[in-house]
Amino acid sequence: MNPSRRALLRSGTATIALPFLESFGFRRFASAAPLGARPKRLVFLGMGWGVTRETWYPDPKVTGADYELTPGLQPLKRHKKDLTIVQNLANQFNNEAHWGSTFYLTGANRYAEPGQSFHNTISADQVAAEQFGADTRFTSIQLGCKGAENDGHGPGLSMAWNRQGKPIAGLNNPLAAFHQLFAEDNTPLEQRQAMLKQRRSILDAVMDDAKSVKRGLSSTDVEKVDEYLQSIRDIESRIAKEEQWLDVPKKFPEKPVKEPKGKIEGYEEVKLMYDLILAAMQVDATRVITYRQPVTSFISSLGATITGHNMSHYTNGARRQVSEMRDQKNAELLAYLIDGLKASKEPDGSSLYDHVALSFGSNIHSIHYLTNCPTILTGGGAGVKHGRHLVMQDPKTPLCNLWLSLLQGVGVNVDSHGDSTGTIKELFA
Amino acid sequence: MLLLAASSAVAEEAPATSQVSMPRKHFAFFEKYCVDCHDDTTEKGNLDLYKLSFDLGTLESAEMWQKILNSLNSGEMPPEKKPQPTNEDKTAFLEILSGRLVDARALLSDTGGEITMRRLNRREYENTIEALLGIQVDASDLPSDANSGGFDTAGGSLFFSSDQFEQYLKIAHRVLDEAIVTTPKPQVRKVRVEAETNTTKATAKRLAAMDAQMERAKAWHESGKEPRDFGFVDAAEVAIQENFYKRDSPPLRAYLGWPETKTGAVLHTLFGGAFILNADIPTATPSGRYMVRFKAAVLNDKVPFHQRFIEYGTRLEGQRGGELSVQGCVHIKGTMADPQVVEIPITLTNASPRYFGIRERQINNRDFARLVFSQAQAKNKPVPDPAIWVDWIEWEGPPHDSWPPKSHEAVFFKPTDTKLDETYVREILVRFATKAFRARQPSDSFIDKLMAIYQAQLEMGAKPLAALKEPLAVILASPGFLYLTEPVEKPWFKENGKPLPKRVPLTKREFAIRLAYFLWSAPPDDELFKLAMDGELRKPEVLRQQTQRMLNDPRAFEFISGFTHQWLDMERLDFFNYNFRSYPQFDESVKDAARNEVYHTIRTVIDENRPIGDLLNPDFLVVNDVLSNYYGLGRLQGGVNGAQFRSVPVPADSKRGGLLTMAAILAMGSDGERTSPVERGAWIMRKLLNNPPPPAPPNVPQLSRNADKIVGARELLNLHMEEAQCAQCHRRIDPLGFGLEHFNAVGLWREQELVQVPTKRKATKARAFPIDSSGTLPDGTPFTDSAELRAKISARKDDFARGFTEHLIEYGLGRPFGFKDLNLADQIISRAKEEKDALSAYIHALVQSRAFRLK
Repeated sequence: MNPSRRALLRSGTATIALPFLESFGFRRFASAAPLGARPKRLVFLGMGWGVTRETWYPDPKVTGADYELTPGLQPLKRHKKDLTIVQNLANQFNNEAHWGSTFYLTGANRYAEPGQSFHNTISADQVAAEQFGADTRFTSIQLGCKGAENDGHGPGLSMAWNRQGKPIAGLNNPLAAFHQLFAEDNTPLEQRQAMLKQRRSILDAVMDDAKSVKRGLSSTDVEKVDEYLQSIRDIESRIAKEEQWLDVPKKFPEKPVKEPKGKIEGYEEVKLMYDLILAAMQVDATRVITYRQPVTSFISSLGATITGHNMSHYTNGARRQVSEMRDQKNAELLAYLIDGLKASKEPDGSSLYDHVALSFGSNIHSIHYLTNCPTILTGGGAGVKHGRHLVMQDPKTPLCNLWLSLLQGVGVNVDSHGDSTGTIKELFA
Repeated sequence: MLLLAASSAVAEEAPATSQVSMPRKHFAFFEKYCVDCHDDTTEKGNLDLYKLSFDLGTLESAEMWQKILNSLNSGEMPPEKKPQPTNEDKTAFLEILSGRLVDARALLSDTGGEITMRRLNRREYENTIEALLGIQVDASDLPSDANSGGFDTAGGSLFFSSDQFEQYLKIAHRVLDEAIVTTPKPQVRKVRVEAETNTTKATAKRLAAMDAQMERAKAWHESGKEPRDFGFVDAAEVAIQENFYKRDSPPLRAYLGWPETKTGAVLHTLFGGAFILNADIPTATPSGRYMVRFKAAVLNDKVPFHQRFIEYGTRLEGQRGGELSVQGCVHIKGTMADPQVVEIPITLTNASPRYFGIRERQINNRDFARLVFSQAQAKNKPVPDPAIWVDWIEWEGPPHDSWPPKSHEAVFFKPTDTKLDETYVREILVRFATKAFRARQPSDSFIDKLMAIYQAQLEMGAKPLAALKEPLAVILASPGFLYLTEPVEKPWFKENGKPLPKRVPLTKREFAIRLAYFLWSAPPDDELFKLAMDGELRKPEVLRQQTQRMLNDPRAFEFISGFTHQWLDMERLDFFNYNFRSYPQFDESVKDAARNEVYHTIRTVIDENRPIGDLLNPDFLVVNDVLSNYYGLGRLQGGVNGAQFRSVPVPADSKRGGLLTMAAILAMGSDGERTSPVERGAWIMRKLLNNPPPPAPPNVPQLSRNADKIVGARELLNLHMEEAQCAQCHRRIDPLGFGLEHFNAVGLWREQELVQVPTKRKATKARAFPIDSSGTLPDGTPFTDSAELRAKISARKDDFARGFTEHLIEYGLGRPFGFKDLNLADQIISRAKEEKDALSAYIHALVQSRAFRLK
């Protein structure tokens, strides 16, 4: 089949009106995902400080399909059939009541390495990215916000941690995310090739200096240089990928996302990030996304004058009202994102929703509790049977069992993750 | 000499027998409440307590004990149906266990004295660039170096993430674009705005338009025709505009009625926020030093003192009416008869914001301006009383003493007409790299590669000067620049996870670098380098003289502020939004002055060779005009005039003196609304008594019995004593915090505690509670009020000095304080004691110690 005919066929599906060249490029590099088997996507949303326990968790005695949505989940009502609420998941090692994201996707023990006061391991999203990332322009996308460390997320630069357990940087505002995903580079191809070559030479030069620096260093120092070198290697593989995608223009979704203007914080910021998440998946720019969401700016955009931490220590009264309002607005936005996933048609006629596995939650339950981590699942990507409320029998069921279930559910080849003891069979039964 | 060094080495390192265990006698607790299920026959949860090791020094056993602590804390164990421990038993058991676990974690994290290679942290990076090129750079784009519980000098916690390299390149380009000039010397420009030409005219124009609109509205009312015929969308729009008119026109009319607006601008506050008088420097103007000037006067002598200030700063996108990124605050002393010219020097980089403005000093929040405005209206005043008149505002710059500037000459070291041939380019790169790498020669192959990058830039069409920026930027993103390396000839490697105890002395060069980054957060200057390379710095007296020189240098403020901010956990000051309805006095100028009071007090103690105890209960305060006014020290007392900090005697009637009563420290111990005796008490234990309580444990049931009641802090916290999980720590924490209850959430003295009562409307209502500021120290020593608390803490200044010393070692050596450092701390303390316990003596003693000379 010649390219022009293929492009014609694709535009015949009339789902994404793309100019000829774009379709051509897309086919060439996304060949791993033929029509009929749409690629799976994973999205992990981290909310930082936990929920209002009294009004968020459904009654643990009523499980299965007949459970009642609580006030905190009410805005998700229209998607009730497509949600799963899971209770009794926890990270056994986390003792840090302010760290809702640091170990959330990793399940690591902070003190596992003797002689170090901090240790982490690879996060679930990165496990997926290692296998799903090859076919897309971006191996994975990490989104975040300003001041996340004080918003109940804990140390880290995003929710993602690499194979070496080191933090991965995130795009911390909608503008940065927009630029990464959708800004066009109008530089002529030849010049961009020359620039890539130049970037390679730069890496080559600093590697040379790294060699001189490494001479005579002790083992812990060498580990530090290796961190630097790992960063260089990451950039090398990114350059290799950029080279591969050099003649493929960035694609834009049917309903284009506009470049964010001005200072957008809080509620509107999250909404815009959700738009970007949706758009990124629509054009298959990446298949793995994490998002460390704002809390203080979120509640302040809703009119509160207290910080997220202050809210999380709610007692009955004003602070609890803020916390409940936040739960509802979070649910409202999540419902909005699910609307978008369902309305977004894939080339084969299915919806994006069918191919996404999405989780929403935090390592922090509520206030300073780290047990029963709030967990919402949605999307058909992992094969979870939705519309139910599951309460795990063991109140300390590892969160990593959930991550392992989702990873295997979307087809990532992995036997265990973090401190997982197995998958959660109930999700699929 | 050699012998001496060896013996002091023995003295510095503590024996390696440190271990942490749970006293065996606590098995009694298990026997009483736990072993029914957790023994070798039942072994519930796979736990047989008879087999449990009481040594907490291994990871496995620490984890097991952590689980035991967690399950007791959460109330999960013993199960509800089983007999419950008495409060006394549980409190005693939990207290010892949580303390021992903190020790165990410290032991397990101990690096055995090994210093991990350090990456320049953000502060050091900025200072190092400035030392190299003379260009100020803002590196806040780089990932934060915040290290939970530690310092930003600890190499082990300074990561390098994958995007960071490219960020370094980007910042380096920004800096080099500024440092290397390709244009002729820019003209000095001066642009003055007569304040009345803009403001008075604009106000008159706005009011005229509003009047005209109301004329049209009136005509419509009388005509009975369509609103559209009169330029309105519909009747609703007329109503809206009429309301706006009612609100906005009287203030504008009042403004124009003030005689002072004929000759200048009067700073004032409207519904839309505080009025800002702008001095906008065009984006295209070159970077460099500029001067912003304005001529101002206080309107009359009835203006209250705290209003006689102008705040200045930059306007950024997203700020609402009247809001600024406040950079400073200046006291206006000019009168209408004799106005005063104020000069504010500013440095503009290519990236810095250029929209500059001045306004009345007030809370930096438009909502506050609205509150002030509506309060004035309630008193039938069209506008809140104004305070300051401004004649004109101007900017001038950039002055360049020489051209090309020094930053350019730092790279192109030969005369400007020297031909930029390959030899010269190579020389430039070698010289710049050597300097950037702090006197380490780059390898030939590295320079070859940089030359290739330069050539490629030329081939891509760049001009030579521009092409050179690329390899220069690469130097500033290389490991040789970014890391402080201390290599050895025969590196040691970990054996079974433990480093071999072989420690090697630093080279001359490395020693100078360590010293400079310790005291300046910047590279050594020429003098220090030269003395080091000549071997002079090895002499204790030369080292002492150099340390003193460095401490007296303005750059030492980098150490003082950087260390102090982290040592005293001052990031908390920025955690909260202080409620401006309850605390309108706590504006950004006060907050900034309060923060600086802490730094400048420490600086004064160092500069004046005062004892470390002067941080606890001194007879002087280090304040500026804003803070002296905030503390109510009286306008003339001590002659506190101007923004610079100076020390003044504590007035007889003042409750202030020492860290404990500083506004910044007190405000950190609140949540922005109410005081937190818990935070204050815990801070005292951590920072002043060197007796830190264990970290707040997760999963402890929250106390909510009093949640709906309006009660005073003391009654609220008494609940802590009812539950063993809380009482184990809070019985020592809370009573300390009570001692400071006479200081409110923003550190001002109060006679009674006001607790806000929730109301449906925005109006505030508060209930008053009497304050009892008596309490006890953790060892049970009672005190009656804050003065006595201060005196009793001051009597324990040895504990304070030890805590300070441990943190100083940690900051200076760039690694956690370890068990092996106990003797080093002893030695520093006893040396300092010989010098009247002067704070500076602690710094000298650390610098002179053997540990400071070892890799």
